[in-house]
Amino acid sequence: MILNKNYFCIYFLIFFVNISFSQEKVNITLDTVSTNFLDQILVTATRTPRKSSALPFPVQIITESEIKSTNSLRLNDILNEQTGLITVSDFGGGEGIQMQGLDSQYTLILIDGAPVIGRLSGTLDLKRFSLGNIKQIDIVKGASSSLYGSAALAGVINIITNTPKDGFSGDLNYRAATHKTNDIGASLNYKKNKFGISTYINSLSSGGYNLTESEVLNTVEPFTNYTFSSKLTYDLSVNTDLYFSAKYYSQKQDYVASEILEGKSNIREWNTHLQLKHIYNNNLKIHFEFYATRYKANEFLDDNTNGIRFSEGFYDQLLLKPEIRTTYTFSSNSVFISGMGLKHETLDRSYFTLNPIFNSPYIFVQHDVKPNDNLNIIIGARFDSHSKYKSQLSPKIAFRHKLNNQLSVKGSLGYGFKAPDFRQLYFDFTNATIGYTVLGYNAVSTAIPILQEQGQIANIIVPVSEFEKNLNPESSIGINLGSDYYFNSKLKFEFNFFKNSIKNLIDTRVIANKTNGQNVFSYFNINEVYTQGLEFSMNWKPSNNFKLSTGYQLLYAFDKEAVNSFENGEVFARENPSSPSFELNKSDYFGLFNRSRHTANLKLYYKSINSNIDSNIRLTYRSKYGLLDENGNGYLDSFDTFVNSYIIIDSAINKKLNKNYNIAIGVDNLLNFTDTQNISNISGRIIYTKLNIQF
Amino acid sequence: MKTIKLFILLILLTGFYSCEKTTDPPLNDILSITVSNLYAPQSGGQGQPITGEFTKFEFATGQITTSETDWDIAFRGTSIIVNGGTSLGTIDEPNRTGQAAAYIENGTFVSVNEVDPTLLITDSDSGYAIATGSDNGWYNYSGGPSYLITPIPGKVLVFRTNDNFYAKMEILSYYENAPSDPDSSVNTSRFYTFNYIYQSNGVLTF
Repeated sequence: MILNKNYFCIYFLIFFVNISFSQEKVNITLDTVSTNFLDQILVTATRTPRKSSALPFPVQIITESEIKSTNSLRLNDILNEQTGLITVSDFGGGEGIQMQGLDSQYTLILIDGAPVIGRLSGTLDLKRFSLGNIKQIDIVKGASSSLYGSAALAGVINIITNTPKDGFSGDLNYRAATHKTNDIGASLNYKKNKFGISTYINSLSSGGYNLTESEVLNTVEPFTNYTFSSKLTYDLSVNTDLYFSAKYYSQKQDYVASEILEGKSNIREWNTHLQLKHIYNNNLKIHFEFYATRYKANEFLDDNTNGIRFSEGFYDQLLLKPEIRTTYTFSSNSVFISGMGLKHETLDRSYFTLNPIFNSPYIFVQHDVKPNDNLNIIIGARFDSHSKYKSQLSPKIAFRHKLNNQLSVKGSLGYGFKAPDFRQLYFDFTNATIGYTVLGYNAVSTAIPILQEQGQIANIIVPVSEFEKNLNPESSIGINLGSDYYFNSKLKFEFNFFKNSIKNLIDTRVIANKTNGQNVFSYFNINEVYTQGLEFSMNWKPSNNFKLSTGYQLLYAFDKEAVNSFENGEVFARENPSSPSFELNKSDYFGLFNRSRHTANLKLYYKSINSNIDSNIRLTYRSKYGLLDENGNGYLDSFDTFVNSYIIIDSAINKKLNKNYNIAIGVDNLLNFTDTQNISNISGRIIYTKLNIQF
Repeated sequence: MKTIKLFILLILLTGFYSCEKTTDPPLNDILSITVSNLYAPQSGGQGQPITGEFTKFEFATGQITTSETDWDIAFRGTSIIVNGGTSLGTIDEPNRTGQAAAYIENGTFVSVNEVDPTLLITDSDSGYAIATGSDNGWYNYSGGPSYLITPIPGKVLVFRTNDNFYAKMEILSYYENAPSDPDSSVNTSRFYTFNYIYQSNGVLTF
C-alpha cells in the first residue's frame, strides 16, 4: 500500500477543511456563440469550464458520438483520424502520438485531468486506453506547461470519462474482428439523490498478426488485456461534491525473440483519483485533489532448449500528486485561478544505477479576462521546483478577438518544458552481444571510473567533469496564430499557424571509446529543433442527416544545426553506396525523421433518421517520410530512401434495432494497405461486427 | 612520362587490382588509382578480442605488402592504422617504424586538394589517427535490420606516408566487388574499394 501516514493526513485534511465551508450556489458563466454547431464545454484548456468555440487556443474535441459511430476501440484508433495528429509506433511496439510535429514524449496525456505514467522509452502507448467509457476527449494544442508543467510542450490530450447520471442504466458491448480480436465491455451506472456510481469493465484479446515471412516471430504477438474502472460521486451538500475514481489495467502478451527464446511481457497499472469540490460562495470555488498511480511492467525470455532464463527486465513507476486549486470569479468577465501541488515520483527499473526519487512542488496562476464582449485575454504562469534539475517558470499569454459574428482571430504564446526522464539520468546499460554502453547523465561520474578500472575504456572523448552540472530540461516556445470563420451557420473554417522552437533537446552522444571498438554513449542537451506549419479544417453540416469534415496539416520539422550544415556545404551523399560523394544543397534537407510534410483527413457522416441507420466513411492521408539515414551522412536528405505516402479508408454502418439493441458492421483499412518493411502497426484490412445492448 | 610508366607497371603487377587514370591535368607527379577488393580479414570481435594480421598497403606502388617497415597504412576489419606513432597494443598489431600520419577532412574527393600538416596525427596508445567505431571515423554502422557498414559520404582521409609524401583517399565500399545495393546477408564484407591520389613530389597539394 502506497498510502503512508503523510498521505492519510492529506486525505483527512481534505475532509476536515470542507466542513468549514459555507454553502451557496453559483452559476457557471459561459461564453455565448450563435451557430448551429454543437458547442462543447471543455475544461482542459483553462481548468475552468469554457465553450470550445470561444477559446483563444487551438482545441479539438472528440465526442462520445464520434467514438461510437466509428466503433473505435482504443485511443490510438480515434486520435489517428484527427487533423494534425498521427500515431507513430516505436521499436518496442508502443504507439504514441505526434502533435505539431513533436514526438510522443512531448505531449501530456491525462485521464480526467490527471497525468498518466509508464513511458518506457518516452512513448506513452495509446493502445492502453479503452474508449468504452469515454464522454469526450479534449485536445489542446500548443505549449501548455503554464497549467500542466512537464511534458506539455506540444499540447495536452485529456480523456474525460463518464460520470454517473441519474437513474439506473447500463450497456453491454461485444465486437469481433479480424485477427481473432474480441472486445467485450460492460458498463453500469447508478445515481440516486446524493450517491452515484459508474463501473466499466472491458476485455480485449487478439491473436496478433504477422506481416513478415518469419514462421517464428509475429509482428504483433497475441495478447489479452483487461480494464476495470469505477467512479463514485457523493454530493455531501448542495455546494460540496466528492468524487473518487479508480482504474486498473493489466495486459499479458507473448514475447518471442527467436525460435528458442520465448517468454512473456506483462503490464499492470492502476490509478486512483480523489477529488473534493466545494463552492464557497458566488466567487470562490475550491478543488482538492489527490491522485496516485502506479505502472509496472516486466518481461522475460527463457531458452526453451534448456529452460534457463535468458533475460529479464522490469519497470516499476509510482506517482503521487496532491493538488489544491481555487477558482475566483470576480465577475462574469474575470476569472482567476490558482493552484499548488506536489509531484512525488519513484522508479525501480532494471539497468539503473539507483532507485531515483523525484520531488517537484509547483504553483500556478491564471487570469482569464474579457475587457469587452469581443476580446478575451488569458495570462498564466506556473513554477515547477525540482530536486534533480533546474526549476522552471512557464508563462503563457493568449488572446481571442471576435471581429464580427463570422470571424475571430486568436493567438497564444507559451513556454513548455519536459523534465529529463529517469532513463536520461540514471540508465546504466551494456549490450551483451555487441558491447556498447549507454549511461544516464548522472550515472557517468560513477560508471566511467569503474569501466576504466576494468580496462574497458580506450580513450575518453568527453571528460567526466563535464557531467557535474545538472542536465537542463528540454524547453520550447510555442506560437499559435489562428482564425475561425463561420461562413454561415452550416459551414465553418478554422486555420492555425504554429511554430515550436525547442532548445536543449536531449540526445545521445559518444563520450568514450571502448577497447572492444564500441562506444560509451550518454545524454546531452545538444540539439535545437523547430517544427512549424499550418493547420486547416473545415466542417460542413448542410442538414441534420449529413456532415462532412476535412482537415489538413502542412509541417516542416528541422534541426537547426542540420540546416546550418547544409547551408555551409558540410553534408555529402552518394548516388549509390559505392559511388563517390558529392555535396548537398539546403534544398536536399528533408527534416526530422518520421515527419510527413502533408497529412490530411476527410470524413463523411450520414444519418438516416427514418431507418435508424448511421454510417460513415473516413479517409486519412500521410505523405512520404523517412525513417533511416541510409547514406550515413547523419541527416535525412533527398538521397535517402523514404516510406511511401499512403491512404487509409475506414467505414462503419450502425443500425439501431430498437430501444435496447444496436448492431454495427464495419471495415477498417478498406484498401488493405500494408507496408511490411516500414509500418508495423498497420495490419491490413480489418472487418468487424458489433452488438450493443442498452438498458 | 614517369607516371605513365608507373601506370603500365602497376597494371602488369597488380592483377586483381584495377587501376584507372583520372582526366585531371597531372600536377607534378601525381598517381591516381582505384583499388578494388583489398581484403582485410579479422578474427574475434562481437565482445571477443580482435585478432589477425593487418593487411598492409603502400601508396607509391598501389600494392599490399608484407614488409615490416615499408608500408603506409594497414587494414583489419573496419580499423585503419598508419605506420607512424605507437601501437594501441591490440593483438597482432604491427610496430610503427615510419613517419605516417592521418586526418579526416569533410569534403568531396575533388574539393580536398591541400594537406594541412597541423591536422596530421599519428596512431598512439590511446587511439588510432583514423578513429574507430561507427560515425567516429570513416564509416557508419546501420545496426538492425540491415547491419550495413557504409563509408560516410564526404569523408576524405588525408595521409602522410611512411616516407613523408602525401595521399588522399575516399573509401567507396566495404563489400566485395563494391555492389551498388549492398546486402549484408549476401555480400561479403571486409573488402575495401577506394580511390586515392598520391603526390610523389612531397608538395602539399593534389
